[in-house]
Amino acid sequence: MPMYQVKPICGAHAETDLPTCMYKLPNIHAQKGNSCTPEHALQNGEVDPAVKALEARQDEIMRKLHELKAAVEGLAKTVTTPDADLDLTVSSSLSESASSTTFKGVTDLDTVLGKDLGALRDIVINANPAQPPLSLLVLHSLLCQRYRVLSTVHVHSSVNGVPPQLLSCLGPRHADSYARHMFQLGFTLIWKDVPKLQMKFSVQNMCPIEGEANVARFLFKLLAPYPSDPALTTMVDSWVDTAFFQLAEGSTKERSTVLRALNSALGRNPWLAGQEFSLADIACYCCVLQSGSASAAPANVQRWIKSCENLGHFSPAKQLLQ
Amino acid sequence: MTKEGVQGATEEEEQQQAQSKKGLKKQQKEAEKAAKKAEKQAKLAAEQQSTEEDDFAKDRYGVAAMVQSQQKLGKQCFLVLRQQQFNVQALVAVGDRASKQMVKFAANITKESIVDVEAMVRKVEQKIESCSQQDVELHIERIFVISQSEARLPLQLEDAVRPDGEGEEEGRATVNQDTKLDNRVIDLRTTTSQAIFRLQSGVCQLFRDTLTNKGFVEIQTPKIISAASEGGANVFTVSYFKTSAYLAQSPQLYKQMCICADFDKVFCVGPVFRAEDSNTHRHLTEFVGLDIEMAFNYHYHEVIDSITDTMVQIFKGLRDNFQTEIQTVNKQFPSEPFKFLEPTLRLEYTEALAMLHEAGVEMGDEDDLSTPNEKLLGRLVKEKYDTDFYVLDKYPLAVRPFYTMPDPNNPKYSNSYDMFMRGEEILSGAQRVHDAQLLTERAIHHQIDLEKIKAYIDSFRYGAPPHGGGGIGLERVCMLYLGLHNVRQTSMFPRDPKRLTP
Repeated sequence: MPMYQVKPICGAHAETDLPTCMYKLPNIHAQKGNSCTPEHALQNGEVDPAVKALEARQDEIMRKLHELKAAVEGLAKTVTTPDADLDLTVSSSLSESASSTTFKGVTDLDTVLGKDLGALRDIVINANPAQPPLSLLVLHSLLCQRYRVLSTVHVHSSVNGVPPQLLSCLGPRHADSYARHMFQLGFTLIWKDVPKLQMKFSVQNMCPIEGEANVARFLFKLLAPYPSDPALTTMVDSWVDTAFFQLAEGSTKERSTVLRALNSALGRNPWLAGQEFSLADIACYCCVLQSGSASAAPANVQRWIKSCENLGHFSPAKQLLQ
Repeated sequence: MTKEGVQGATEEEEQQQAQSKKGLKKQQKEAEKAAKKAEKQAKLAAEQQSTEEDDFAKDRYGVAAMVQSQQKLGKQCFLVLRQQQFNVQALVAVGDRASKQMVKFAANITKESIVDVEAMVRKVEQKIESCSQQDVELHIERIFVISQSEARLPLQLEDAVRPDGEGEEEGRATVNQDTKLDNRVIDLRTTTSQAIFRLQSGVCQLFRDTLTNKGFVEIQTPKIISAASEGGANVFTVSYFKTSAYLAQSPQLYKQMCICADFDKVFCVGPVFRAEDSNTHRHLTEFVGLDIEMAFNYHYHEVIDSITDTMVQIFKGLRDNFQTEIQTVNKQFPSEPFKFLEPTLRLEYTEALAMLHEAGVEMGDEDDLSTPNEKLLGRLVKEKYDTDFYVLDKYPLAVRPFYTMPDPNNPKYSNSYDMFMRGEEILSGAQRVHDAQLLTERAIHHQIDLEKIKAYIDSFRYGAPPHGGGGIGLERVCMLYLGLHNVRQTSMFPRDPKRLTP
């Protein structure tokens, strides 16, 4: 695989007058019939050994990746459904690579959150302990894998007390939590008597964001940008809305309609938004779980629920519901 | 008079020999009344359960109340009787219990006199808006004056309790603060003052209880000291036999000595004297300091956690047990209820600078926060986190006193912290330097005369654990908790550069 080629700054075949008093070394980059010399020529015409080694390492990695990809594709072909019947321990090793390629594209924190002012960027979420936001907990654990996140849980004075599992829902206290500036992102969850879930980030530049669906969208954008295809983006958004409005808050009739729609969508694709795991799956899974209709769901939905759980991101949500 | 106003307590039969003719007449009537009362008692005992009855369960009623005001309307006289935070309407009407002379007598009792009253407690159909006991009134059968007040009062209590806005609107008077403070004995009788100081007593109580439960020892430190500990400009000098001494600016030196004396965790409650010529809404020359000092094991955040937990317990205790007092104060001084988070929010100085920067305030890395910036920061934190109480950690070393421990990871910063309530500072604390050598170096750096603090440095030479602490002002904490605007309202007999009495 050719690396980015830079034209040599000085002539590749410049004659240099080497002083004779210096210790003469044979040319390390002896051409063994390899035609890539001009690309690696440095200013004095010698080739940097480090670049060559780097190139070799890169080739090696690419080769390994290709092998891995072939292996995964092979497995995918043998198993018609995505990881549904595999044991969690087996699929976890696969899921590591799956999750890293799950969210394609990189987000830069500075573009989403604004210029870094040299201090911890703290996201504040005010939630009502009567309705814990499961999808946000899932997104929190995904964020922790990606960035260094300082998570804290507080209880506001408007609430008298919360059950202990709500206090520990963000996981154990980080060892470095005494030094806030060492973290890239802050995730502060406040249990408060609010009518609707609310998120505040930058008081001067942003108005508060209300509603679990919208906060989930915001947090997801910190992980990966939305798919560039607008049709796909709209579908993801529509599933998120369906989840939070009809599944979580709707009547039994609405819920069964949604479950049927889920069933038919999942019959065509392994995940709700096509081939890739996305925010739509997170949202729908959490709402299905919270509405308690997981056990009564149709076949495709059950299978999809199992695949979600196999991915391993949903354990904090499940623990909270227990 | 009890709060509930119904189940009368013990009978207070203070039979004062009345000098007037009326008194004799009343004694004659006593015999009749006694007979009638016995009848009534028997009836009432049988009818206690019924809620339709006019008369309440008890009929005898012994009170030692103050007459707040009275109004004579022909054959009736209305009085308002007050006891501490509560008042009730009382009625003397011409009838078989009271004569015309008695009504006249009641009408002529001067305000703020102390009276002894026997009365029947009766339900009223219409709520009595002007009293704290709105659903009952007393029908007086006997009334005696125990201590008469002078007719002319320096200030009227209704005016002292009136909220400022209302006074302007209706053209009625309110009393300004100086008059109130000059006649503090009368001003303290208002329901608002009673509520404020009961709440303050609660704060002290909760402070002591919480710390004692955490294993702290209460100590008393000397207030007459030989050398000014922090800058010499702000201490009062007293003559001490042939030399002079100073009044302690803070118990800091002695708190630390106690830690070096192996007391591990100490607190003290006592007066603090600061000769600062500041005439502001939040400075006093003498106030009550609640100070904490403790040794810690691994990190000075243990100290911060202890202090903030104590504060949160105090706030919770006030929220749960003193709602009546808070509502009483809010009638005259309306304010937002106090909000806080548990565990307490802790921000770092760099975060504060970033928030201020976002809001358009330019500040250097090592600058101290000015008072307007502190208030702005308080508002920003309230916006974002909805809390009135938070800790700001890791102040720059340059703005802290010489005995503050520098941050081991970053010499520009220190292991020190401030706590804020409603955007105003209530506590300044830090991890202290416990090494005599380092302390000497820091003192030299701050150009302090080592001779003056020799005793202080010596206390660390014979083994001293790492420790830290902080102190709060009782009056300021009460003022900020209730949302009041002047610390003199929460100090019983305030002292400031212009006031030395009462």
